[in-house]
Amino acid sequence: MLLIGAFLALAGRCFYLQFLRNDHYIGQCLEQKQGRLPYKPQRGVILDCRGRVLAASNKVQFIKVEPRRVKDFKDLSSELQPILGMGAHEICKLINESNNPGYVKIKADAKPSECDAARRISSAVGVESDWQRHYPMGRLAVHAVGFTSLDNRGLDGIEYQYDKQLSGSAAQDIFFADVRRRPIRPAPREHSPADNNDVENAVLTNGVGIILTIDATIQQFARDELVRQYENYEAESAVAIVVEPKTGAILAMVSLPDFDPAEAHSTDPDNRRNRILTDEFEPGSIIKPLVAAIALDAGAVNKVEKIFCENGNYSGRGFGRIGEYRRGFGDLTLREILVESSNIGMAKIGQRLGKDKLYKGLRLFGFGKKAGIDLPGEADGLLRPAHKWTGYSVTRIPFGQEITVTAIQLVRAFCILANRGRIVRPFLVKAIVDNDGEITELKRPLPPVGYVVKPEVAEWIVSDAMVGVVNEGTGKRAKLDKWQVFGKTGTANIAKSDERGYSDSDYVASFIAGAPVEDPAIVVLVSIRKPNKILGKGYTGGVVASPVVGKIVEKTLNYLEYRYARADF
Amino acid sequence: MRSRFHLVFVVFCFTAVLVFAVYLRSANNRIFFDLCSCRGEQSRLKQELGTKQLLLEGLINPAALSRRFDGINTNE
Repeated sequence: MLLIGAFLALAGRCFYLQFLRNDHYIGQCLEQKQGRLPYKPQRGVILDCRGRVLAASNKVQFIKVEPRRVKDFKDLSSELQPILGMGAHEICKLINESNNPGYVKIKADAKPSECDAARRISSAVGVESDWQRHYPMGRLAVHAVGFTSLDNRGLDGIEYQYDKQLSGSAAQDIFFADVRRRPIRPAPREHSPADNNDVENAVLTNGVGIILTIDATIQQFARDELVRQYENYEAESAVAIVVEPKTGAILAMVSLPDFDPAEAHSTDPDNRRNRILTDEFEPGSIIKPLVAAIALDAGAVNKVEKIFCENGNYSGRGFGRIGEYRRGFGDLTLREILVESSNIGMAKIGQRLGKDKLYKGLRLFGFGKKAGIDLPGEADGLLRPAHKWTGYSVTRIPFGQEITVTAIQLVRAFCILANRGRIVRPFLVKAIVDNDGEITELKRPLPPVGYVVKPEVAEWIVSDAMVGVVNEGTGKRAKLDKWQVFGKTGTANIAKSDERGYSDSDYVASFIAGAPVEDPAIVVLVSIRKPNKILGKGYTGGVVASPVVGKIVEKTLNYLEYRYARADF
Repeated sequence: MRSRFHLVFVVFCFTAVLVFAVYLRSANNRIFFDLCSCRGEQSRLKQELGTKQLLLEGLINPAALSRRFDGINTNE
């Protein structure tokens, strides 16, 4: 009986182990026999339009110590000291003060020879590697490229917008290991690799590369000139953007103040803002050519008639009093209104046009809605619906008050004019390439789907009125010998934040220009916020912004001419 | 006598096959280990190349060149 009982107990135990606890023990057995090697994907590169690296990831080695396995901190520190080139007291302090008994990072970015030597000292010392993001051009294109967090997630710019594509997918190798944990045989995969979230069975895919439309050379031209003026005028902020009007490709975008992407985490969040997209401002006179184009297109005015500009003092019921910036004018043609930048002339054009046509025209030029650029954080701007307009609105909007715009919206609208009225959408990503360098997605400019204003109207505004602004008017400082530039200045008062009305000392000085007028290759906008008026150097768009635009246009066209000449060769 | 010889021969062959199987298995393991080591080395070399490429990019990009030219002009 005893024997039968013993056999039954044995059989019961066998059943328990073989059937009830089977999975548990198989799991434990595999844990002992198998090793796992996780692979983190390499984050994709971001390149400029000529293939120069704006952002790339590289693996760096860290030397780590497991404090709970260290018998004597001092001995270990002394042994590590000559290898790592660090003070023994420093190493000892790091190990002593670590809150984590299983891990303390001793040295980042260690050389392979240091890693090999350190590893041999003790089993408590280990080497770990991880990807680190590098930005070889530093702050040059930081607002377009963006930056990543410490765990390599995109936090701003293209890094954020295309985070998923740039990240790739992680995987791990599972293998049978010998007693010293050396891999001896790959372990069979248990599931199908179809599930993307299953890291165990996923295939390692590095992130794709992104080619931007930005040209680092043009970006450098724009940044150099803008920084100089920004510092000269002790301005609060400044932006510059260079766009190819035919396609909408952004060749350069600079926002100041900027920051070093390697130190992004300790930077003032205000500096991290891409002001080209996020900052709305009243455009001032810079909007006048657009309103003139809408009026001319709608037949509200013609090129030859003269509009009486009230000698600088225009008032009436429902729209208050309107003055000029400098001096009053009598009869002016549409061209003269733009060249002299007459507010009263524009107010009268607004009244003739009427609020509905003006509103529709401005919407068609893209105001009051996002430009749709492939970057995060874009603001809409403010263009109230026509039914909410007052008598003031229809006379103030034509010279850039009661409307707020972003720099990208403004440059887009002028690209439409330079493109003979044809719709343009600015874009920043030129192509996406896979890990073999093959283009997987080519971003094409918007197909020519329609006109915002008639081509002849856009052409007249650009080649006659805006050329006049540069040759005879407020934009003379942007005049170039080699190319005919067209442009428009803007000096907008900044509204007071604590009470009604506009500040007398704070302005946004802007200038937008393009060249060559016969076949515009670039449109450049420079906008400088709050140049210091007390310095006595001037504060208007013509004085502060137009020289910067002139230099950017000159350098860029010289460079493009050279580039195309080389391409032909 | 012949049957004893046969027995020795069979035992010898059986042992030889076993030894050969063990050798094949350990060779397989060794080759897999070598493969893993080579892969690691390849990835390390690739990373070293990447580091050097980034270093070069850092030296020849327009921003760095402009800084260097500015430095030369200031010295002159």
